Formats: sequence, structure tokens, C-alpha cells
Amino acid sequence: MTTRSLHPTAAPPNPGRGVRPTGAVPVGRRFLFADRRRATLTVLGVAASLLLVLVLDGIFAGAVDRVTYYIRTSPADVFVSQAGVRTMHMSVSTLPADAPDRVAEVPGVAWAAPIAFASGSVAGPQGRQLTYLVGYDTRTGGGGPRALVAGRLPGAGEAILDEQAADRLGIGLGDRFTVMGMPVRAVGFSTSGSSITNTTVFVDLAEFARIHDDRVSYVLAGLDAGADPNTVADRIRTGVDEVTVQSREQFTESEARIVTDMSADLLRLMSTIGLVIALAVIALGLMTATLNRLRDFAVLKALGAQTPRLARAVAMQVLLTVVLASAVATTAALALARLLPTAEPAVQITITATAVAQTTATALLVGLIAALWPLRRIATLDAATAFRETR
Amino acid sequence: MNTTENTSAATAGTPGPAAGSQAVSAGHSRVPVLTVRGLTKTYGSGDTAVDAVRSVDLDVASGEVLLVMGPSGSGKTTLLLMLGALLRPTAGSIAVTGRDNRDVDIAAAPEKHLPALRSHTFGFIFQDYALLDALTATENIAVAANLAGTTGSAAHHRATELLDRVGLEHRATARPSQMSGGEQQRVAVARALSNDPPVLLADEPTANLDASRGRDLARLLRRLADEDHRSVVIVSHDDRLREIADRVLWLEDGQFRQIASMTIDPVCRMSVERTGAHLEWHEQTIWFCSEGCKREFAENPDSFQP
Ligand SMILES: Nc1ncnc2c1ncn2[C@@H]1O[C@H](COP(=O)(O)OP(=O)(O)OP(=O)(O)O)[C@@H](O)[C@H]1O
Ligand SMILES: [Mg+2]
Repeated sequence: MTTRSLHPTAAPPNPGRGVRPTGAVPVGRRFLFADRRRATLTVLGVAASLLLVLVLDGIFAGAVDRVTYYIRTSPADVFVSQAGVRTMHMSVSTLPADAPDRVAEVPGVAWAAPIAFASGSVAGPQGRQLTYLVGYDTRTGGGGPRALVAGRLPGAGEAILDEQAADRLGIGLGDRFTVMGMPVRAVGFSTSGSSITNTTVFVDLAEFARIHDDRVSYVLAGLDAGADPNTVADRIRTGVDEVTVQSREQFTESEARIVTDMSADLLRLMSTIGLVIALAVIALGLMTATLNRLRDFAVLKALGAQTPRLARAVAMQVLLTVVLASAVATTAALALARLLPTAEPAVQITITATAVAQTTATALLVGLIAALWPLRRIATLDAATAFRETR
Repeated sequence: MNTTENTSAATAGTPGPAAGSQAVSAGHSRVPVLTVRGLTKTYGSGDTAVDAVRSVDLDVASGEVLLVMGPSGSGKTTLLLMLGALLRPTAGSIAVTGRDNRDVDIAAAPEKHLPALRSHTFGFIFQDYALLDALTATENIAVAANLAGTTGSAAHHRATELLDRVGLEHRATARPSQMSGGEQQRVAVARALSNDPPVLLADEPTANLDASRGRDLARLLRRLADEDHRSVVIVSHDDRLREIADRVLWLEDGQFRQIASMTIDPVCRMSVERTGAHLEWHEQTIWFCSEGCKREFAENPDSFQP
């Protein structure tokens, strides 16, 4: 054995090549990855439960996106509806016939377009489904579909259909189909107007009157350049009787609430289930890992480690597990969000950064709760057992 | 074992050449680093009470290697745990002189001071090495340096230095499971040195090693005492360790019993009995392991420190 003499207080030699460690030895990280199989299983288990939460949240966020698509992409800045009616979906709004003209007179309003709106069903050779029927002035275009992906604007006896619904119902360009029992011809396709339950059919106002009735449901208004939507909305409120006026953002928010109000309880329940599973997986993984390493913890204690330092090592394992699991779950959720619509176009999964951050943060909290159990064991561990126990 | 007679705790043990202390005193004239008085440990209470250590007195000087031997269950580990601030004594005091030259009574220190006391004062060596298998050799040493307050590259360099010192620089990134027992124990010794402790405490450090590795380890411990002036307290059954010890104490039923006194051959630094080769020098009797060592000493006495 070679032993070189070296005084203990001698200054360390110059730093050598290679990695320069900073801080303390990452004991928590080393502990976690020393047993790769357990680490992988724990991470995958937590990832699976986070994926459940993320995808469910994504499905509802996607539904919100779809439900609000018409409003969000509308050229209108202000939306006028019957007093007390704040949404399009699941509402009936009726305005006086002169409402569009009166809105147009309000200073700051550049244009005002009426739309007629009703729900019913649409049927094609391959089936039927619920739809919203939107009647708009095809000459001005205000209130119509944001863009056509195929075909042209509709005239009498013609309609624009959402491409996904058309595909599902087996309706091609030029084909005849029925809306609310009345036959029309598909002359154009729009996009993003379908959800799991619903689609949108656009017709000219005159056609709407033929199919359903002659009515003004909403008035969409565009503003003069530089006009403030809230100020103009106030003016419309005072100038036109018996109306509710909302900016695009307010209308979008009201519309989104239809979905979120409906989904909130379910979402909360599923998130709780997902996080409880995550809690169990982390707790189990961490407890077995800690019990297997009790001797190591005792040795560290004997060498002078205090409980907070060991707690940090355990917390680091939780942090890494959750962050890795979150990365895996997010990747999988994003992949699902891309792949699922090709199989089921009506379903949109929207994974938002907020949802990822929120789910990860909650999982972290849950993980730290799961760590309390092993931490208790470590805190009460007698350092002297380092000398008593042998492997 | 050459247990010769029972003595009272206060005068038990084996006074070395510079004897004179009333306690089981250091075999050197140097100042004691550890001063133990009336140390007692009773496990449990009532009918099931076990007196593991009974009123033990002990002084250990810096640079001294003390070997405590004794049968199984005699209280060796209990004694070591108390010395190392890992077990609270039932009675008695343990004064230790830290690196800052301040004395601390371990027996009376508040519980929350003990971890820092351990990480700054003691280096621990375990029978089964007790390395962390999740860490490399270097990290095992660096983590102990971390606990003593050295972090980052300073800790890493200290670890590298110490690996070099125990001759394992080429095993820096190996994990304990990839090393032989001898290598692991050397890493463990390096770890025990990482906080530059004045006192090394070893429990059966050679028990899991074969004869040759055991001897290597023993010599390494001897060098740490000689070169760094650390006190080394070893509890062991291993007779091989006698040759590097300045003193050997015999613990039985929690008390020291006297064994034949031993001294150090100044030439080869081996522990020798006070029989056989010896000479008088400066009114002192110097004992040698062999006539050869005695001859070497006689030729140039001033080059050896008795
Ligand atoms: N935690 C404990 N509780 C109760 N009794 C204990 C405890 N630890 C040790 N003892 C008892 O104290 C006595 C001394 O034990 P100790 O471990 O110090 O002996 P030892 O000399 O180290 O033995 P060995 O050579 O087998 O390691 C024994 O009788 C043992 O049974
Ligand atoms: Mg023992």
C-alpha cells in the first residue's frame, strides 16, 4: 500500500481538469438514481397520474377553446345581446329589429352586424348531430365564419358547414343535407366550430328566416380605430334599451364559463384522484427507498449530519421525481394532444403552461406530504445504530 | 490474553514509558486530547439494567494509538460510542480538546451540539466500512467534508488528496460495491480524515479484512497518529493491532483490567513487551523488538525519538 505523507492542513492543490463540483455532494440525487429501477417505476407511476390530470384538464381547456372559437376569432370588438343574456351557447337572445341600426349610431361604432342564432340538429348520410345555426349578412360578412377552408359563401338554400362535422356526417361540397329538418346544399366549409357535442352551420339571414324564423339574436359591432371597447360598450348600454353589452374578452370569458362551470367539479374530482395516486406512489417509493437506506442515513448522522440536511436529501428526491414525472407526463400529454384529434377531430386537447405548472406544483406539495413519513423515521433514527448494524 | 490482575478503574491500564498519570493515561508526555472520568453506561433500568461500562477513567494523548481489547459484550462499542458523542453516558465526563484548543465535555454537551461536535472532532471507522453505496469513493469522502463545513471544489480536492494519501487515487470514481474490502476500508479511513479530526475512533476496523490487508490498515492508522499527531482509539478483538498500539487496554465487564505493560521500539515503532532487548539511555530503559533494532539505535541514538 502506498501512503503518501501529507499534512492535513496543507493547502489543496490547484483545481484539476474535469467537473468542478459546487455546493455539497448531491446525496438526494445519488440516492434516487442509485436504484434506477425503483426510480423509473416511481417516476412513471407519478407521471401516469399527472398525465390523467393533465389530459382531463386539457380536454376541458380544448372544449373551452372550441366553444369560444367563434367569439375569439370574430372581427367584432363589442357584442350586444338581450338584457341578462351573457352567452351564445345554451342561451336564447332576442333583440328588437332596429337594434343593429341603433348600435351603429353610437359614436365610436364603425359597423354593426346582426346575427340570428338558434340550436337544432344537422343530418347527413352518415348521421345527425346537434348544431348551432348562425344566420348572418353574407353581403357584409360580419358575423360569418372567420375563414372558409373550402367552397364559397352561401346564397339561398345553401349553407356553410364545419369541415369536421361534414367529414363525420359524410357531407361533401355540393351535397344536400338537412338543418333543423330543412334541406340545404353545402357550398363551403369552415373550421374549428365543432366540439364533441356540437357543430356550427352558417347561412344567410334570409335563409335563417326560412329555416327557423326572422330574428335578431345578437348585434356584433366593430369600433373606430382607437376607440376604447369599454367606453363604447357603456355608450351602447345607455343609448340602446334592454341590452347587455360585452367586450370580446368579456363575452369569451362568459362563454368559457359554460364549460368550466360544468367541468369544474369533475375536474376537481379527477385531479384529486390523480394526486392521491401520485401521493401513494411517491410515499411508497420514498418509504421503501428510505428504509433500504436507513443505515446510510444513520452513518450520515454519525458523521454529523443533522435532520434538516437529511430532510433536504429526501426533499430533493421528491423534487426530482416530480419534475421528471411532470416532464414525462407533459410530453405524453402533448403527444396525445397532437395524435388524438387525428383519430377524433371533435376532441381538442389543449395543454397550457399554466396547467402544467399548476399540476407540477400540486404534485410537489403532495410529494412533500408523502415525504413526511420517511422524514419522521429519519428524524428519530439513532446515529449510534451506524455502529450496531451491519449489512 | 495476558490479563494479569484486576485493578480499580482509577489506576487501571498500562502506563507507558512516561507514566505518572493516575488515570489510564497517555503513553506519551503530550497533553491529553481525551480525558475521561468516571464514565458509566447503564442500558435499561430495574431488573433488566445492563452495566455496559462502569466508571472508566482514561486519558488519550495526541499522536497516541490506543487499542481497547476485550471479550464480546465487554462494553467496547458502548465505550467508543460515548467517546464519539453518539451515546449519552449515564454518568461521568468526557473532555475533548478540539482543533480550536478548547475543551468540551461531551457528556454534558446539549444534544443539538453533538452533530457538529462529531463532524469537527472525530473521524469514525466502522467494521463494515459503512460507505454509502450510492456515492463514488470521492463523494463518500467529500460528503463527510461537507458535513464539517467544507463544500464545493474544496471538499472535492480534499477528497482527492485523501484518496491519494491512502493510495486509491485510481479508484476515485469507483463505487463501494466495485471495490475490495481493503480498498473500501481505506476509503473509509480517508473519509474519517476528511474533517481533519484530532481523534479517530475505530470499531473492529480489521474484522472484515484478511491478514495482509488488516496489517496494511493497521500501519496506515499508525502513520496517521505519527504524521498528523492524531489520537487513534481502536476497539478490537484483533491481536494484529497490538503491534501498532502505544497502549493496549483490556476491557472486561465494562471495566479496564491491567495487562502487561508495553512500550514502543523507537527504531521500528512497533509495540514491544518490556522483556528482551533493551538498553539504558539518558537514565531511561529503552526496549526493542530485536537485537538488530537495538544495534541500530546504539549506533546513532539521536536520530531516533524514544
Ligand atoms: N442498546 C442496548 N440496549 C441494551 N443493552 C445493550 C445495548 N447495546 C449494548 N448492550 C449490552 O451492553 C453490553 C456491552 O455491549 P457492547 O456492544 O458495547 O459490547 P462489545 O464489547 O462491543 O461487544 P462485541 O465485541 O461483541 O462487539 C452487552 O451486554 C450488550 O448486550
Ligand atoms: Mg462491539
